[in-house]
Amino acid sequence: MSSTERTDGDNGTDGFVAEWRNGAYNCYSSGHKFCREVCPVMQVTRNEVHTPTAFHANVVAMEKGLLDIADVARDYVHCTGCGACELRCPNTLFTGDFYRFRTRTVQLVKAARALAVDQGIHQPGWQRWVEETSRQKSEPVLGAEVPVSQEHVRDWAAGLDLPIGGETILFCDCEGAFHRTSVPRAAAKLLQRAGVEFGLMREQWCCGGPAAEMGYVDRAREFAKHNVDDWRAVGARRIIVFDPHDYISFTEDYPSYFGDEYDFEIVLFVELLAELIRDGRLPLTHPVERTVTYHDACRLNKRKGIHAAPREVLRAIPGLTFKDVDHVTQWSYCSGAGGGLPIERPDLTAEISRRRVERAAALDVDTLVSACVWSERPLTEQRGALEIMDLLEIVALAAGLEDER
Amino acid sequence: MTSTLVTDPVIDELVAICGPDNVFADRSSRVNRARVPAPFPVHRWAEHVPDVVVLPTTAEQVSEVVKLANRHRIPVVPRAGGTGLTDGAVPLRHGIVVDVKLMNKILEIDLDDRTVTVQPGINMLKLNEELQQYGVIYPDDPASYPCSLVGGRIGTSGWSLIGGRYGHTRDLVISFQIVLPTGELIWVGDGGGRKVRKSSTGYQLKHLFMGHQGTLGIVTEAVLELVPRPEAEFAAFFSYPDYETAWRSTGALAKSGLATLAGVVLFDEWKLDYLRRDDEAYIPQPDDVRCVVATAMYGTTDEVRPGAKRLMRIGKDTGGAYLGDEISQGDWASRHDRYATPLHGRLRDGQVVPMSWHCEDASINWSQLPQVRREWHEIVARLGDNFRIFDDWGMFAYTNAAFKPWGDYLTEIDVGIWEQELDDAAWDAWVTAKRDIAAVAIAHGGSISACHGACRAGEVDLVPEELGGGWDVMKKVKRVLDPLNIMNPGKYLLDEAYE
Ligand SMILES: Cc1cc2nc3c(=O)[nH]c(=O)nc-3n(C[C@H](O)[C@H](O)[C@H](O)COP(=O)(O)OP(=O)(O)OC[C@H]3O[C@@H](n4cnc5c(N)ncnc54)[C@H](O)[C@@H]3O)c2cc1C
Ligand code: SF4
Repeated sequence: MSSTERTDGDNGTDGFVAEWRNGAYNCYSSGHKFCREVCPVMQVTRNEVHTPTAFHANVVAMEKGLLDIADVARDYVHCTGCGACELRCPNTLFTGDFYRFRTRTVQLVKAARALAVDQGIHQPGWQRWVEETSRQKSEPVLGAEVPVSQEHVRDWAAGLDLPIGGETILFCDCEGAFHRTSVPRAAAKLLQRAGVEFGLMREQWCCGGPAAEMGYVDRAREFAKHNVDDWRAVGARRIIVFDPHDYISFTEDYPSYFGDEYDFEIVLFVELLAELIRDGRLPLTHPVERTVTYHDACRLNKRKGIHAAPREVLRAIPGLTFKDVDHVTQWSYCSGAGGGLPIERPDLTAEISRRRVERAAALDVDTLVSACVWSERPLTEQRGALEIMDLLEIVALAAGLEDER
Repeated sequence: MTSTLVTDPVIDELVAICGPDNVFADRSSRVNRARVPAPFPVHRWAEHVPDVVVLPTTAEQVSEVVKLANRHRIPVVPRAGGTGLTDGAVPLRHGIVVDVKLMNKILEIDLDDRTVTVQPGINMLKLNEELQQYGVIYPDDPASYPCSLVGGRIGTSGWSLIGGRYGHTRDLVISFQIVLPTGELIWVGDGGGRKVRKSSTGYQLKHLFMGHQGTLGIVTEAVLELVPRPEAEFAAFFSYPDYETAWRSTGALAKSGLATLAGVVLFDEWKLDYLRRDDEAYIPQPDDVRCVVATAMYGTTDEVRPGAKRLMRIGKDTGGAYLGDEISQGDWASRHDRYATPLHGRLRDGQVVPMSWHCEDASINWSQLPQVRREWHEIVARLGDNFRIFDDWGMFAYTNAAFKPWGDYLTEIDVGIWEQELDDAAWDAWVTAKRDIAAVAIAHGGSISACHGACRAGEVDLVPEELGGGWDVMKKVKRVLDPLNIMNPGKYLLDEAYE
């Protein structure tokens, strides 16, 4: 037997291959790599094993006994889950309607990671991260001002007088709750100003999205179940989220866990915000004298097709000079913060962010505005002369809820 | 599936040359660099897996790797984008894959003498994104524009969609640095000056070192042409009731002498049938539209506007009906992506199956197009009679000359192949068909390949016939420059050079 033949079959791998082989062959039989140069990770590593083409071909190779999940588990770490490749893929672009088919590389990567975990192949950083999250119920946010724990999960809201429970819940992401607390504070104040009634959860746990992305599906479900139970217990119908990653969890992962009984309305903050401003319920009265460009959050722009609302909001801010880069050009931009990459490959995240900031700086702006709280840390670390702001932070300025520092 | 030449000490040496982060001997790295998009039996994937992959960052590293390979007599295969359709980057004899993707820097932009100097791992779309701010472009524009790389463009001597106006890769690459098969680094161009486009000094070596599919060395740096970003673009599509009229009209348009005309493309009836039945993105046309001719012009507004009027008149006078702005502009703009649409085809009973795309790409003179077309469709029809996994996706003929759109045509027959079902018998029949297709091209005074190269099983058998006495020279050159047959062995029947 030659040195590259897989020795034994196993059920986990067989099930994975059975589920993914058709999609994989759709890519394998074209294999032209139109997706390659749009991938933020590939743009840095230039390594073909980090491409969607390889991610799909590996499935065929597993079917043919050429590769094992053990051979490729590490390759699948190299994905931020941004979704650019799916948009660039002609299988999605041009044959999608014909086939009712869409290239689902992001889901494939998640499935491959789950298979690895299932087979006992762990990435040390991810394993620690998920264990810590399980212990503390929130992610082990690095450099948090307060220790990450249930006791402190609502500290960000100190002094805002927010009720617990109610029909509408504001879900606060872990990074926002413990690190960039100015974002949830801005969110809460904006809702209060616009007269939107809302409350917080009794006990908020991590949405489970990161665990799911790292392949720890059972853990992710535990978090999801807890959160859904908590929503039900307070009679919630509507969940407002400002973090795009949570938005993906609640609109894609949770429905897949709970099926039809999952009937919550999930509201994305920036879309609500655009509506409130448009309807005159949230007057923006304070000029913000900044020159900004907008970083399309990948999970909004590339995964959900949401790129108009953030721009509408920015254009409504008085005093602001907005230098836009269109959302299609931004398919190939990313902060590198997604998909667990910063935990396993912080070097790549840093480089991806550096390049993103460099592109912004070339526009002669003073501020790069993002709508994804997770992107803001790596971008800030590379910011140079730029300031990195969240969209909600800048809107809070325009609404007169905060003062320019 | 691997050769035994790459031992641990060799890997250590490679690590010493390229650095520990840029040498990969793991299974995934190797298995994923065994293939290119051209259809090949899936069950034979393991046959072409390399032993080790390196991602060098400098010309000196490439040179040292090639010298090492000579010392140990290990095959070396250059790999750029891995999109080549003649298997050039497939490591037939295993060995070391030199993947140039990490060498993707722009080294100099010279707006005075209109050149950009790059490393070979850069992609044209990415390059043009950077050039945009200077009002210039590098106009090498294959249908693989978003995915092929400059090194592979030189390795294949590629063809550009707008070559009739701006030239093809060989015209657009002014000079380059190449690591010879024995490891020496040299520059070749027209003469010696790196930014000189035309010289009469010495032999014209630039052409020799292009299109050799990595059998004569590895390009490590290239000086490329910059042209003004076209101010105006005009595309017009015409429809015809029959092939004969469309073909004559194509000839008239191509010979118009309009300097801004970048290309004329003829779609035959099979192509239209295919687009109608299986291309969701194709804008539907009435049934009496049997053939289509697409044209495009680029240049300054002052030239393109009046030129377009003349073009429209020629199209109409020669029997074409204008298909309207939507299809003209929309279809032309998406030409790159549309190429990759043939990802599914049909069995004769109408069942839709995922199919790989094979593209035959001979150069054929205009006068011979109708006959070649007839014979090629017959070959593919016979194939389909015997094996259900082949589907005729029709033909395109694209103007093929550089800077002038007349004369010969990149003549393409696209064949869908259900790759998963490609067993040995079907593969053998396919190879025979490819040989027959190539024979038709030669019999009509054409050339087997206008853009991809002619390395694949079947067609490659006829390369000596096409080149005649030139084939003997080719073998001599190979033996002299690569005495140990290190560079991409097994390609182009060049083993014969050592017999
Ligand atoms: C969808 C699609 C559309 C296409 N359309 C066109 C088209 O319109 N026109 C056209 O010309 N081609 C086309 N092709 C074919 C292909 O894109 C070209 O042949 C391209 O030039 C290959 O470039 P690459 O970077 O992918 O090279 P690879 O496939 O990696 O390599 C091609 C050859 O060059 C050699 N090589 C690679 N790098 C170097 C180097 N640095 N020095 C020396 N040799 C090297 C390789 O060994 C190999 O023999 C198309 C392919 C696809 C998949
Ligand atoms: S663009 Fe789509 S089909 Fe092509 S290689 Fe990428 S994932 Fe595969």
